[in-house]
This record gives sequence, C-alpha cells and structure tokens, in this order.
Amino acid sequence: MNETLIEQLKGQLGLNGLPYVVPIHPNLVHLTLGLFIVAIAFDIVGVFFPLEKPVFKFLAIPATRSNFFDVGWYNMLASAVITFFTVGFGFYEILLASPDGNVKSAWGLEAMETMLWHGVGGVALLALIVGMTIWRGFQRFLWRKDMARQVDWGYLVAGLAIFGIMFVHGTLGAQLASEFGVHITADRLLRMGKDLNALRQ
Amino acid sequence: MFENLLPPLNDHNLPYPDTIHPIVVHFVIAMVLFAVLCDAIGYFTRNPRLYEVSWWNYFFATVSIFIAIIFGQVEAGLATPYADVETTLNLHSLLGWSLSGILAAITGWRYVIRIRDPKVLPVSFLGMGVLLTGLVFFQVYLGDLLVWVYGLHTVPVVEAFKEGGLL
Repeated sequence: MNETLIEQLKGQLGLNGLPYVVPIHPNLVHLTLGLFIVAIAFDIVGVFFPLEKPVFKFLAIPATRSNFFDVGWYNMLASAVITFFTVGFGFYEILLASPDGNVKSAWGLEAMETMLWHGVGGVALLALIVGMTIWRGFQRFLWRKDMARQVDWGYLVAGLAIFGIMFVHGTLGAQLASEFGVHITADRLLRMGKDLNALRQ
Repeated sequence: MFENLLPPLNDHNLPYPDTIHPIVVHFVIAMVLFAVLCDAIGYFTRNPRLYEVSWWNYFFATVSIFIAIIFGQVEAGLATPYADVETTLNLHSLLGWSLSGILAAITGWRYVIRIRDPKVLPVSFLGMGVLLTGLVFFQVYLGDLLVWVYGLHTVPVVEAFKEGGLL
C-alpha cells in the first residue's frame, strides 16, 4: 500500500506497521491449513480403511470407518468457517504492508507481484475451501448417505490438487515475510538503518 | 561433524528454501485447538460422535509435535540469535519439549477414556483441554515473537548477522 496513505494512521501503528505486536493472519493460517489438510488426510484414511484394519488392530486402537469420515467432514467444515477470518485479517494486514521495494524473491518476483498473487490466491482458496465443504456436505448427507465409502475419488483428487495450490500460495506468503520483511519488526528496523538494540525490552 | 551432511546454507541460513517448523506446527496448533473445541461442543450438546473427531485430532497432533520438534531444533540451531532473542528462544524450546510430553500424556489419558467408554467424557479431561489451550497459545505467542519481532531466518536479519551488525 502507498506509504503516504499508511502515514495517515501513523499514530496508531507500532514498529511492525500494525496496531498490535504480532500479525494475526499467519496464526489463522495454521488453522486453515491444518484443518483442511487433516480433513483430506482422514478421508483418505477412511477410503483405504480395509487395508489399514490390521494396523489398527496391531496398535490396539479401536477404529470405525465412519469415524474417519466424521473427522473428514467436521475438520473441512471448520476450515471453511475459519478461512473467512484468515482472508479478512490477511487483507487488513496486506493493506498496511510496506514491503522492501528493492528485493526480488527466490522465485524472481517483486513485492507488488507477490502481494497481488497472494491476495488473489487467498480469495481463490477461500472459494475452493467453501466449494469443497459444500461438495463434501452433499456427499455426506445426500449422494452417498447410505454408502460405506463417504467420498468419491474426484473429491480426494481435488483435495490433493488444492494442497499443491496451498504450497505455492503459502510460499508466496512466507516470502512476503522472510524476504520482503512485511510486518517483521527487526527487518523494518534494519531497513530504516537502525540497529536491533531497539528490540531490547 | 554434521556440516558436510547438509546442503550449503542459503540466505535464510537454511539448507532448504524456507523454514519447515512453522508449517509442521499447523498440525499441532490446529488439531489441539479443534480437539478441545469438539470436546466442548460434544460435551454440552451430548454428541459423542464429536468425541471421536476430537480423539483422532489429538492423535494426529501427538504424532506431529515430535516432527515439529525435530525441525524446530534444526532451525533453532541454525538461527542467528542476538540480544534478547536467546531468552525467548530458550523458553520456546523448553515449552516445546514439555508440550510433547504433556500432549502425549493427555492423548494417552484419552486413549484409556476411549477404551473404557467412547461415549463418556469426564469433565476433568475438558478442564485439562482448557489448560492445554492456554499453554499452546503461549507457545504460539513465543514462536510469533521469534519470527515477527526478531525476524529469525529472515533474509535481512541473516544478512545483518553475517555482516556482524548484530553482534
């Protein structure tokens, strides 16, 4: 975002360019990604349950197939709910970002390109996660209600493809922090030419 | 002795492109918090199906925390600590190792509860979940300080460290 526009909020922002001590978006990302990936993982475990039965028996862990699909459903639902907040805080914090303009990322992108791809990608991922949740809900409550295997192959393949998008998208986000120094107090101090003793409490 | 086993370090001071520890912790943070939430909702709405969701999330979190610690130790060892970072890094390491024991013990307790009757959850377990949530939040906050305040493994901090600007 334009530096002079951010200046309008100068009195409210700390050294990291935010009105609070650490960014909130990256913390919500833990929840979005953790819940989504584990949802798909447990649906895969559910699908291959007949093969795993002896393993669970050996480990003396009682396991019922439908429970794995419960995890697949509830985790996906929670991921969809939380991701609205992840994207919301992401936009708030990207509007207040002032990345280093003289840096190119490991992928050869400059700050603005990286921010735009990460912003647009975030909305796309929100749509995909909500879409997957609706698809999953239809399978659970209508189409495959009476089937032992609650998800079809297409859903799992789509889930794995979204892992790939998440990897690219997440790397762009990581680069905004660790290469462009967005909202990192130490990086911003160094860019201002100050030493890091300012971080001493 | 181990230097030669790793690829050369990049401008993040890492032998691989980006930090891995903050990715693995997705599966500890999200799973523990969601497990506690499912237990609470299951308890108050009397829906034992959610107890199963909770148990499997605890199980997954317990496996993940050890992988998180392995990468955490590698990346802490390769970090470029300066000034007051060390206090925070030590506390984060100490609490991280402690959490592996605490989480494994809680998941073990849950295993026993589930073997006896998967449809009943003692309220004391729910209370333990709330305490665990508090510890996880504090641990996340410490990790956040290491990345977002001190900038460990970010290019500018590594660069300044190599130039001797932080010593």
